[in-house]
Amino acid sequence: MTSDPRAFLALDLGAATSSAALIGRIEHRWRLIGSLAVPASSSADGLVVELIRRVGAADPALAGAIGLAGDDGTIDSVRLAAELPRLAARSAPPRTILVCAVTSRALGPLAAAARATGWRVREATLDASDPFELTARLLDRDVDVVLVGAGDPPGADERRQLGELAAIVTGAVSRRPDLTVILAGALNEHLDRIESSSGERTGELLLAPAAAAGEPAGSALRQLLDEIRGGADDPRRAAGRAVGALADVLDRRVELIEIGFDAGLRATASPGIGGSDAVATVSIVADAGLVPPESTDATVDRVLAWSTMPLDRHRLRDRLRELRLWPWSGIVGDGARLRLAAARAAMTILVEATPDQSALPAPDLVVVAGGAFAVAPGPAVALAIADVLRRPGAITLAQDHARLLGTIGVIPDAIERRQALIDLVDDLLTPLGSIVVPGGIRAGASAGRLTVHAGTGSSDTNLVPGGLEVVDLPPGETATAEFAFRDTVRLGTRGRHFAVDVSGGLGGLLVDLRDVPLRLPERMDRRRELLDAWQESLWLTRDR
Amino acid sequence: MTATNVRRAASASSPPAASATGAGSGDGPDALRGLDLVGCRPILAGPTEVTFPLRPGDRALVAAGDAIVAGTTIAERLRDARIVELAPGVASDTAAPGDRWMVAGEAAVRLRRGHGAEAGELLYQRDGHWALAAGEHTEPVECPLAGVVRDVRPGIGIRVRAQGRALLGVEALGDPTSGRLSLGGERSDQRHGRLRSTSLDVGLAGTILVIGSRVDAEALTRARAMGVRGVVVSGLAGKERRDFMASESRQRAALHRLQPFAVLVLDGAIRRPIAGPVAAVLERLAGATVAISVDPPALIFDEPALAIDPPPADHVRVRTGEHAGDEGRWAGLAGVRRFAGGTFLEAGWVVFGDEAPVSIPIADLERFA
Repeated sequence: MTSDPRAFLALDLGAATSSAALIGRIEHRWRLIGSLAVPASSSADGLVVELIRRVGAADPALAGAIGLAGDDGTIDSVRLAAELPRLAARSAPPRTILVCAVTSRALGPLAAAARATGWRVREATLDASDPFELTARLLDRDVDVVLVGAGDPPGADERRQLGELAAIVTGAVSRRPDLTVILAGALNEHLDRIESSSGERTGELLLAPAAAAGEPAGSALRQLLDEIRGGADDPRRAAGRAVGALADVLDRRVELIEIGFDAGLRATASPGIGGSDAVATVSIVADAGLVPPESTDATVDRVLAWSTMPLDRHRLRDRLRELRLWPWSGIVGDGARLRLAAARAAMTILVEATPDQSALPAPDLVVVAGGAFAVAPGPAVALAIADVLRRPGAITLAQDHARLLGTIGVIPDAIERRQALIDLVDDLLTPLGSIVVPGGIRAGASAGRLTVHAGTGSSDTNLVPGGLEVVDLPPGETATAEFAFRDTVRLGTRGRHFAVDVSGGLGGLLVDLRDVPLRLPERMDRRRELLDAWQESLWLTRDR
Repeated sequence: MTATNVRRAASASSPPAASATGAGSGDGPDALRGLDLVGCRPILAGPTEVTFPLRPGDRALVAAGDAIVAGTTIAERLRDARIVELAPGVASDTAAPGDRWMVAGEAAVRLRRGHGAEAGELLYQRDGHWALAAGEHTEPVECPLAGVVRDVRPGIGIRVRAQGRALLGVEALGDPTSGRLSLGGERSDQRHGRLRSTSLDVGLAGTILVIGSRVDAEALTRARAMGVRGVVVSGLAGKERRDFMASESRQRAALHRLQPFAVLVLDGAIRRPIAGPVAAVLERLAGATVAISVDPPALIFDEPALAIDPPPADHVRVRTGEHAGDEGRWAGLAGVRRFAGGTFLEAGWVVFGDEAPVSIPIADLERFA
């Protein structure tokens, strides 16, 4: 390679998926040349070799222009796979934290902070469990980190038992030198006691602020927990950084929703004002993974609520277990629909776990990412987002199809990261379309009319309350959607007449006239029929 | 933008160029191209560390470095552990959490919790008082395999480096156990068979049965009652799993327990035959003494003289879908193809027997090493 490489590889090595993208420099700009994703159990080197080979076979001239061809014009994909610079994001393995406190009141904010930072959370209070059980839970080999906390100053209900809690933790921690222990709030005072009894430790002993410290409340503890959990190259943490840069580059409010194998990510970012940095809020929720390690009754119920397949609970549980064991298998047939039902259930958990982000102003652009959406057609993905993220407003929807946001976020320098995004932004986002969700639609024969003025002409549509209207608007095309509602609705502001700029995509323009929040029949068969009717028109590639 | 060539579904039935040239012979670099995109599953693992969990109060009877034979009692499990608080000064000054404590003339003193105890495990110290995990009834924990104790951590677990090799599964339920491997169930069809409760008899006592593709909770319960020590099965449905776990839980609560019993699941939750290369190993092991470990889930055997040849490099198995359980030869990459349900997936050509190549999603395939 020369000192000034014209191509590099961006690798996202996740728990379920390995993805490789080839980035080349064309006319002084980095462009996405190609990408490929396979199950994580495959060889990552084999994946890269195959990607380079395909690029060479598809466009030898382009391959030559980015320096892949040798002097004789041939492409040695094996050699190139070894020599090309790599930018890699690697998922941190899921880790379990045991959150301990004297009372459930004190435990709540501690556990909430851990839940928002990607930990698998277990909870224990001295009030609810005896010292023997608490000791057993602390000694459980599956626990990687212990967070023990109290208010600062401790509440009246905590003070009397704080000493006992510290004694139990000290006794357990002295047996597990590998355990990382975080003391939050008033438990800081017991550091000496734990330290003196621990001997030689490989795990860390850390002091953390109280659960409510920071602005906004809890942010200080969240930041610490986030740093402990994932390394710098964890793709979810990195994607959170990249979303801030993306908001700056596009000068729009951006929200990233990622549903992955081990966790879900919700990152919201607003562009900086007056030269300041973008403001980003990132939540990583382990419970919002595609399928949890153990499919409980609650898991089955959540997926069943979105399923359009006539499966009983036992069969669905088996399918979910298979999905967990072999996340890429069984997509053929109704497997893709099952994944999307599981993705909806996971998104519901993600949204419920992040109420502060739901309270922010609606984003202009929602980017979806993760294996949950990888095999579904664009319109079906758009509907899944509309089903769960029910906020009145208009959003543009796009997909991080090559899983580049996580990889770009790994770039440590913020300016370089931003520059890479400026070059690649047009390539890394696949436009899925626009979604318009008016709030406060009343029942009736007609809610009003929609006129879409696009470059190719205008179309007029009657708006039927409770339904979905899809307007064909191909990727790359922009249009103005003029709404004339019969009654006053909420669409950003309250009114009856709106003109909204929309952009096209694989799913076109989706006007969602259903209730906000979505109301579905209680009876499972009717619910399934209704969901199927909504999805049927959008699953365009489905066999009929 | 991707560099993927999309081929139309109409060509799916057409044999690929690779099959006409290389795939038939099954060798050569072109025929195997793309095979490393298929997930690889190791059939056998080398020396394996098996963990036996301990809870506070359980007593380890071995020390790190001890060599043990199969059947050694390595710990005593406390069935009814409770907390007892000791009087000040009863334990030595150098006592530490995890140490054993035994009465030495002084009686244990009841303070706020618990009754007196003569022995137990120190848990924590507060205001000069030690809290002790103690109980009346113990039960032995046997190690069903030979090996060397690597680590003993009171209240946490004992790690044993097992002697021999391990055939890995995805899950094991029950307690670690050992027995003579028997190709059970409907013996004419070991890979696909299922175990019916009526086909069990006491003649199978002491064996670990290889069932095939399916077993139900009733058969598992009856097998344990008949003295069978374990079952190896390809798939265990969620309902059967839940019922078996409930039965297992009742067994643990019973005062007089039966022999340890374990279920080793090789593949997952849906019905599919045991993979050919795995079945070949099990056939070679028939009649040998093997053990099932729960953590990790594996069948462990110490048969150094047993040579096990890996399957051909191009041997692949279909994990799910229309061809689930079928095995064939890899015949090259098929690119992105459209499949039932309207999904577009990376696929490979697979030759089943003498039939024309079929495109199968790469993610539904697995190969063995």
